[in-house]
Amino acid sequence: MNCELAHERIVLAAYGELPDEQMHELERHLAACPECSQERQQLLAVKTLAAAYPVVEPDPNFLTRSRIRLEEALDALPPKRWYERFSQRVVNNFASLQTAPVAALLLLIVGAGAGTLGGYEFAQARAAHVAARVPAATAKAEPQPVPIAEVASISSVVRQPNSEIVDVTYNQVVPQHIQGSLDDPGIRQLLMLASENSASQGVRDDSVGLLAAECRAGHACQGEGIRDALMVALRYDKSETVREKALKGLEPYVAEDMRVRDAVLEALLNDSDPRIRTAAISELEPVEADTSVRQVLFTVANSDHNPQIRTVSREALSRAPEIQ
Amino acid sequence: MDGPDRAQERLQARAPEMELIREAQAGSRAAFDALVRQYEQQVLRLALHLTGSEHDAEDIYQEAFLKAFRYIGNFRFECSFYTWIYRIVTNLCLDQLRRRKTRREDQAVVVDQSGDEIDMMASISDNRSFSNPGKELDRKVLGERIQTALSKLTPRERMVFELKHYQGLRLRTIGEMLNTTEETAKNTLFRATKKLRTQLAGLR
Repeated sequence: MNCELAHERIVLAAYGELPDEQMHELERHLAACPECSQERQQLLAVKTLAAAYPVVEPDPNFLTRSRIRLEEALDALPPKRWYERFSQRVVNNFASLQTAPVAALLLLIVGAGAGTLGGYEFAQARAAHVAARVPAATAKAEPQPVPIAEVASISSVVRQPNSEIVDVTYNQVVPQHIQGSLDDPGIRQLLMLASENSASQGVRDDSVGLLAAECRAGHACQGEGIRDALMVALRYDKSETVREKALKGLEPYVAEDMRVRDAVLEALLNDSDPRIRTAAISELEPVEADTSVRQVLFTVANSDHNPQIRTVSREALSRAPEIQ
Repeated sequence: MDGPDRAQERLQARAPEMELIREAQAGSRAAFDALVRQYEQQVLRLALHLTGSEHDAEDIYQEAFLKAFRYIGNFRFECSFYTWIYRIVTNLCLDQLRRRKTRREDQAVVVDQSGDEIDMMASISDNRSFSNPGKELDRKVLGERIQTALSKLTPRERMVFELKHYQGLRLRTIGEMLNTTEETAKNTLFRATKKLRTQLAGLR
């Protein structure tokens, strides 16, 4: 055994990681090599000196303080929506059946269902809020033909005692039209709404495109939740063109905003469209050295179905050597 | 206690944790709090020894468990929860160590056993240190020397040395926690001990 190898084995032996048969070989080498013998002495000295900085148990008050602070932070978080937890559960349960096409199909359906339900629920909440301002019809009004297409929801149904008369209170969606500049907060709000709950892909496409362009141009894209709207579109929209536009819009903020970074990382891991995953990798370039980004790149380099993406990930990993 | 009872006991000891995790994944805050209580001491101990600062250790503790709460849905029982939590903690510690390196704020300032900061330059020429003779001084000075030597390691070397030497983990586990191979962890340990040996040569 040469001395360089012996030096390594001395370290392993000192930490109980050397297999027994190699230990025997090492002892024989050390008996015959004074230099390596000294090396072992020096390593033992390092270990002894290291003990001068012992690991101490955290002071109980310190622990309690930390725990209280944590509890407060957890209390301040918004609760997880049921469909988020549900889809997470489904994903976990089916993760082990990745090769089963039927399971994968079910997963897709359930996941899409949960996503749609989320969007539906969200749209309902927004629509109800919008229409609540419209005063409900009074009980005495003449029953007119109800434009069913414009009914958002029914608030109550009450049957008048001893009669065939029924009082129905409903909320109506009233189509409106507005024109304004992209800087106008009202217009922006409508665009954000459009990005999330328009049934028409064309409308979502246009609105996300406009919002993304605003973000890329740097036009005050945080306060009104535009970033959030883009992140939601990136995650949930069924159309690849919409998701791609949302991703582009988020690019300027990957470095400074952790949530944007996380959203892009999720897209890299989970998006079905390889073009989007590729775009995500290039957007992560400024933060390639970040530990969590490297982890994801590592996973993608090994397990993405698309060979080109695996290559690009590997290149990204090698481009940014770990900051040592 | 005979064999089958002990095996049953071991199973029962592990089963509650799996149940807790599932409950936490389903949204039970109480279950998550129970998990926190199981691991918080170790997490804080590691962060404290690694950073040498109560303030930094508390930050890491906070971020680690918040992250755990946020991502517990992603835990798929493919590794132990212990490894999973430690992976989060070590990543945060590494980020912390890297930030220090860039800011170079730890060159001259070291934290002693009681948590107070000592200025390294001052302690060498300060007359006070000579009025406090004996073993206490030796230990303190040695403690500072080793901390300085440790601060000269790269973040990864520091991390591996901490987990191996101070926390006593196996190299294979360390590799898992740092999302790398046992081989890489070994080589990092070799570099770390080599550097420390050079730094501390001359001190017996």
